[in-house]
Amino acid sequence: MIGFDAILNSFAAALHYESIAIILGGVLLGYIVGVIPGLNRAVAIAIAIPLTFYMSAYAAIAFLIGLSKGTAAGSAVSAILLNTPGEPSSAATCLDGYPMASSGKPRKALKVGLLASVIGDLLATLLLIAVAIPFASVALKFGPYELAAILIFALVFIAGMAGGSFLKGLAAGGMGVILGTVGLDPETGAMRLTFGFAELMEGVPILPLVIGTLALAEMFVQLDEYRRNKDASVIKLGKNADDDLSYQEFKGTLPTIFKSTGVGAFVGALPGLGPSVGAFMAYGLAKRSAKDPDSFGKGNPNGIAAAEASDNAVIPASYIPLFGLGIPGSVSAALLVGAFMIHGIQVGPLMLRDHPEMLFTLFSGMIVASLLMLAVGWYGLRIFARVTSVPPHIVISVVIFLCLAGIQVQGYGTFGLVTVFVFAIFGYFLKKFDYSFVTFLVAFIVTPMLEMNLRQSVILSGGEFSILLERPIALAFVVFTVLMVLHLGWTSYRRWMQARHKAKQV
Amino acid sequence: MKMKLLGTAVLSAAMAVGVAGQVQADDFPTKPLTLVVGWGAGGSTDIQARVLANVLEEELGQPVNVVNQPGAGGGVALARLANSTDEGYTFVFGTSMTITFGPLSTETTYGLDDFRYVAGVTLGQSAIVTGEDRPFGDSWEDLVAYAQENPGTSYANQTALDRMIIEYIAQREGLDLRIVPTSGGAGMAPLILSGDVDFAYSGGTHSGYAETGEMPVLLSLAEDRLVAYPDAPTLQEAGYDINAAEIRVAMVPKDTPDAHVERLAEALKAATQDERFIEVTEERILMPVTWMPEEEVTQTLRDQVEGYKALLEELGGLPEDE
Repeated sequence: MIGFDAILNSFAAALHYESIAIILGGVLLGYIVGVIPGLNRAVAIAIAIPLTFYMSAYAAIAFLIGLSKGTAAGSAVSAILLNTPGEPSSAATCLDGYPMASSGKPRKALKVGLLASVIGDLLATLLLIAVAIPFASVALKFGPYELAAILIFALVFIAGMAGGSFLKGLAAGGMGVILGTVGLDPETGAMRLTFGFAELMEGVPILPLVIGTLALAEMFVQLDEYRRNKDASVIKLGKNADDDLSYQEFKGTLPTIFKSTGVGAFVGALPGLGPSVGAFMAYGLAKRSAKDPDSFGKGNPNGIAAAEASDNAVIPASYIPLFGLGIPGSVSAALLVGAFMIHGIQVGPLMLRDHPEMLFTLFSGMIVASLLMLAVGWYGLRIFARVTSVPPHIVISVVIFLCLAGIQVQGYGTFGLVTVFVFAIFGYFLKKFDYSFVTFLVAFIVTPMLEMNLRQSVILSGGEFSILLERPIALAFVVFTVLMVLHLGWTSYRRWMQARHKAKQV
Repeated sequence: MKMKLLGTAVLSAAMAVGVAGQVQADDFPTKPLTLVVGWGAGGSTDIQARVLANVLEEELGQPVNVVNQPGAGGGVALARLANSTDEGYTFVFGTSMTITFGPLSTETTYGLDDFRYVAGVTLGQSAIVTGEDRPFGDSWEDLVAYAQENPGTSYANQTALDRMIIEYIAQREGLDLRIVPTSGGAGMAPLILSGDVDFAYSGGTHSGYAETGEMPVLLSLAEDRLVAYPDAPTLQEAGYDINAAEIRVAMVPKDTPDAHVERLAEALKAATQDERFIEVTEERILMPVTWMPEEEVTQTLRDQVEGYKALLEELGGLPEDE
């Protein structure tokens, strides 16, 4: 076990001016990416990963984490000022942020968003530090049986929670599962759905898939919108006396911030749900538990606070399963795994033992990043707000260029470019027809892991179900999954009955 | 006079061609080179290749760009190299398994004869490993005896090659093994450390546990005993006539001019004596640096392919065709 000295040393390392400069660079870049409508975190990390080849392991990871945190805070700016979320997860921030800003209080809205972001992020980071370590030490108890059971549970949970139509969720998840099985069969080496492409033997490459469905498709959607509505109004920062945040008002939002941080941390700790779900869940909870639910959607600071605190809490919380179990809790966490690999670090259960100094330096770097985020946001409000007035046609073409350059840099070649465009078109229709791309992506990412663990379990146990009695953790998750399926089935049955009942009455 | 003139012309023309030819040979490389890695960024091959590229850059006097072409266990990069026509300006740095066993276990568009093997510069350290406190201890003989008495002893495999080897051993020793697939050292390590699996293939992960003793080696899959585990016998010493030694080689398309191959070989030889290359290879990825010139490495690879073919025949086809 690592000593207290080592922990202090790692904090000292994070406070070194070079480290601070690198983290600041990440936060700044992330903030800018976050502010620019349509550029999102996953793409920013994916594009920045090759930049980190020549940095030291710590610098690279600190830079990426700063970037990741910066985007979450920055995206609130364009959500509030332009009603265009810089990040899909900030869509909930628009609901109250934009009305408040357009009623002449943009600075107040921005400050509520920023403070909620930083507090949510900081608290969730502390939670990560407290939870990931004890979690990691028991991680070896999570063998193939447990992992298979947890992954099945996660898949069902996400499919049930992602919202929208149950059938559409199932369809999106199914697509993800099918694409996740492409490649060599892990046991027999048989080719599955590769259609003769050697490039597909190790599965559909994740980066072109992610960039295509998330970034490029989003650009297509934006292009579509831009074509219809060429002049989105820009709010100027006013000189209204009422346009500042008083201490009393800030204190009033604190309970909401704490509650929403809890929601965000919970959602983040479960693999795959992601910040959008966290933000909307926290927003819903804040509205439902408020005394004046009607004021939500009209510029209630609690609405902004709930969405932002939860959105930002999800990010550090999503590293709990990553460091504890090796399961990436979000798309950006999945991309971070690649960054760690570049620097020769296996993320997962063994990290605490093999690279404890790295883990603690990382934690301290995350705290530094939270504080830098506050400084960057506080002093940069005016400047960053100007970034949003770059015309969309420039943003869109620059982003498309960056996406394709990213694929080329990663060495996927022509095949990668084709893959990106195929998934861009696919992603465009997912978005247009409101299929959950969260469910799709999570299913795609989880499937190969699930398949491997499930097959290992079946072979190791000789196909005996009774093995579950010897593995209580696995058994518990199997039971949870069954209960979840029953619950989901029951609620959708009830909804269906209600709808039918209503239809009859009409 | 006329004849003399013609003679002079012919002579000077010949000289000009000769000189030109020589200039061309001496000048290689006259433009930047591309070192292709058949694996994603961050793996041990990639890390080593990036250092190698830096060293080669100084030796060759031209930039050497590293490009990752991941996919199919290094196979995507080889498939593209086979079609390359730029005479050695693009070369692949990869592991021998891709070219020896790859074409046998999957359908490929290339074969051993499509390339020239400039040199072998590093010896792999793959092994069959186990964990601490196993009932059979950490000797191969005891494991075999234990597995003979305990049907269902489990083995974690990672590659088609190690699967073939273990199936051959199981057939010879009369073992009934449960062979579980796993991906890479990161997938194997938790299975071995937690005790969920009895023994496993390891490409190099065990080298990192040499000090703690948490991952004892039962059998060396290299030609010699492993540097970090001198007590474990090799495949041959244990009585199996298989040469599965992994070699990291630089490859160019088969029609690359001799002069270019020689120049590359010269630079690679210098790299194997360069401190930076030795450090990254022997201290970070924990494999010994070696020097195998073209003839030697080509012969070794050819012998390996013949050996694998014989083994497959003995097993009655490919493992997956059972």
